[in-house]
Amino acid sequence: MPIVEYDAAIEEALKKITRLLTAEYRLSLRFVALLLLQGDEELRLRVSILEGERWPEIQELIGQTERQYAQPLNYVITMYRQQKANQIAAQCVSEQAKGNRWGEIISFYTMWPVTGVPILLAVLYLGLYQFVGRFGAGVLVDYLENSIFAAYINPVVDQLLELYLPWEAVRALIGGEYGIITLGFRYAIAIVLPVVGTFFIAFSILEDSGYLPRLAMLTDGIFKAIGLNGRAVIPMVLGLGCGTMATMVTRTLETRRERLIAAFLLALAVPCSAQLGLIMALLAVHPAALGIWIAVIGTTFIAAGTLAARLLPGEQPVFYLELPPLRLPKAGNVLTKAYTRMHWYILEVLPLFVAASALIWLGKMTGAFRSLLTLLQPLMGVLGLPPESAKIFVFGFFRRDYGAAGLYDMMQTGGLDTHQKLVAAIILTLFVPCIAQFAVMVKERGWAVAGAIGAFIFPFAFITGYTVHRGLMLLQVILE
Amino acid sequence: MANLKKIFLTGMPNVGKSVLFNRLTGAYVTVSNYPGTTVDISCGKAYIMGENFEIIDTPGLYTLMPITEEERVTRHLLLKEAPFLVVHVVDGKNLRRMLPLALQLRETELPLMLVVNMMDEARALGIAINKLKLEEILGVPVVLTAAAQNKGMGELRGRIHAYRRI
Repeated sequence: MPIVEYDAAIEEALKKITRLLTAEYRLSLRFVALLLLQGDEELRLRVSILEGERWPEIQELIGQTERQYAQPLNYVITMYRQQKANQIAAQCVSEQAKGNRWGEIISFYTMWPVTGVPILLAVLYLGLYQFVGRFGAGVLVDYLENSIFAAYINPVVDQLLELYLPWEAVRALIGGEYGIITLGFRYAIAIVLPVVGTFFIAFSILEDSGYLPRLAMLTDGIFKAIGLNGRAVIPMVLGLGCGTMATMVTRTLETRRERLIAAFLLALAVPCSAQLGLIMALLAVHPAALGIWIAVIGTTFIAAGTLAARLLPGEQPVFYLELPPLRLPKAGNVLTKAYTRMHWYILEVLPLFVAASALIWLGKMTGAFRSLLTLLQPLMGVLGLPPESAKIFVFGFFRRDYGAAGLYDMMQTGGLDTHQKLVAAIILTLFVPCIAQFAVMVKERGWAVAGAIGAFIFPFAFITGYTVHRGLMLLQVILE
Repeated sequence: MANLKKIFLTGMPNVGKSVLFNRLTGAYVTVSNYPGTTVDISCGKAYIMGENFEIIDTPGLYTLMPITEEERVTRHLLLKEAPFLVVHVVDGKNLRRMLPLALQLRETELPLMLVVNMMDEARALGIAINKLKLEEILGVPVVLTAAAQNKGMGELRGRIHAYRRI
C-alpha cells in the first residue's frame, strides 16, 4: 500500500501513467508520475524524450486529470501529503506545554527595549571592550609584540639576513622596517590575529546562545530608519570583526537595495575588530576623546544610512525571523566555530599581508612610496597631524588594520598628542575599506557601485577629520 | 572514494544537517544559525564500524519538485548517483512541517532512513516523539538525535552499519 493515498481520480491517473513508463528513472514510477502531474517541467522534458511515442498518451492523461480540478494538481497533491503528515504527527508526536521558563523570561527581556538596550550595552562592554579590546588588543598583543617578535623573531631575522644576504634590497624585502616577516607576519600574527581571534570567540558565543536573532528583533526599529531591517544586524555585528567577511554576508539580505546600503555602511562607518581594538587601546585612556570618536562615527552611521535610504528607491522588505530557543553556549561548538572562522581568515588574510608588504617594498624601492608620502604631507599639516602620519594612511590603503597598527606604532613612540590621535582615529575609521573588502565589494556589487562608494568615502573621511580638528580648535577644547 | 557506498544527507535548511555531517565525517564545515549557509556540496569519508562510507551533504531543500537552484542540485545528485542510503534529517521541534518532504522521499522508494534531529530542543519544549510508531507508519528506520550535543550518533552509526544486513 502506498505511503500517501490520493483520491480516486489521481490514483487512477497514476495507475495509467505508470503503466506507460518504460525507461529507467532511479525513482519509483509512482513518484515520477506524481511529479508529471504536479507539472515538473524538467521531468516532463525528460520523459517526453525517453518515452517517445508513448508521451502524447501520457500528456493526454495529465491533461484529463488537470481538468477535473479547480486548483492546480500541484496544490491538490501537496494538500494530500500535508494531510497525511498531520495524521502521522497526531499519532507520533505528543506535546505538553512545558517550556523552558528561564529561557523564555530572559528571551523576553533581551527584546524589550527598556531592558534590551542595557543588556546590549553590557554585552558590548564585556564582549567587545573587555574581552576583545582589553584582553585581545591589550594583553595578547603586548605579549606577542614585545615578548615574541620584538625580543626574538625580528632581531634573529635581521641578524640572519645581515649574515647571509649581502643585497640590501632583498634584505629590505624580508626584514627591516617594512619586511615581509618583520612587518607582514608581525602585523598579521602579533596584532591582527589576537584581536580577530578574540572577536570570533565572542561572536561565536553570541551566535551559539541564540542571542543574535533577538538582537535583530530589538534593533529592527533603528535599522528600519536607515533602510534596512533587523536582519542586517548580523552583517553589521560581523563587520565589527571583519568588514570583508561581513560584506560577503550581506548576501543574506533580501533585496539589492538592502545589500547596497549595508555594503556602503560597512565600508564607511563600521570599524573592523583590528581597527576597533587598536582605537580602543589608543583612546581608552582619554575618555573624552573616545566619547567624541563614538559620537562622530555613530552620527555618520545614522546620517549616511538615513540619507542612503532616502536616496535609493525601493520597498522595505517584511522582516521575518525564526527565533531559536536561548541556550547556554557549548564550549565545543564555540571553539569549532571560532576555529573555522580563524582558519578562513588566516588562509585569506596572511597572503594579503605578505602581498601588501611586497607592494610597500616595491613602492619604497621605486620611490613611488616616497612621492606619495610627500604628496600627502601637506594634507597632514592641514589636519594638524605630524608629517610622518601620512604613512598611516598610505598603509591604510593596503589594509585598514595596517593603518591602525601603524597608528599604534606611532603612539608607542609618543609621536601624537590626544587631539591628533582622535583626528587620526576618526579619519582612519571612515577611510576607504581595506583592499580585501574593496575587492569583495567589487565582486558582490560591481565596479560602478564599489567605485562610487570609494569616491564618496575618500574625501568624506578627510573632510570629517578636518571638521573635527577645526571644531576642537575653534571651541578651544583641550583634550587630556 | 570511487567504490565506497554513498550516503546522501538530505533535509530542509536549518535542521542541523551540517553538524550531523561533521559528526559523521570528523571534518568541519561552517555551522550557522542563519539560512543559506550550506550552498556548496560537501563530501567526506566516514568510518562506521569497520567500513568506510562516502557521505554527501546536499543543499537544503523544501520539496522534491525543484523551485530553487539548490533544490535542483539536490535532485540531480539523487538521480545521478546510486545512493546506498539517503539519510533524511528533520527538525524534531517541527515534525509536522517536516513530514511532507519525508513523505516525498518515501514515495521515491530510494533507500531511506529518517533522522529526527534537535531532540534536545524538542524535549526542552515538552515534545515527545514515538519512534517505534513512526517507524511502523513510514516503514523506514528512524533515529532520534541531538547532533550538536553528540547524542544519538552511536545509534545512527549502528543503524547505518546494520542497514540491509539484518
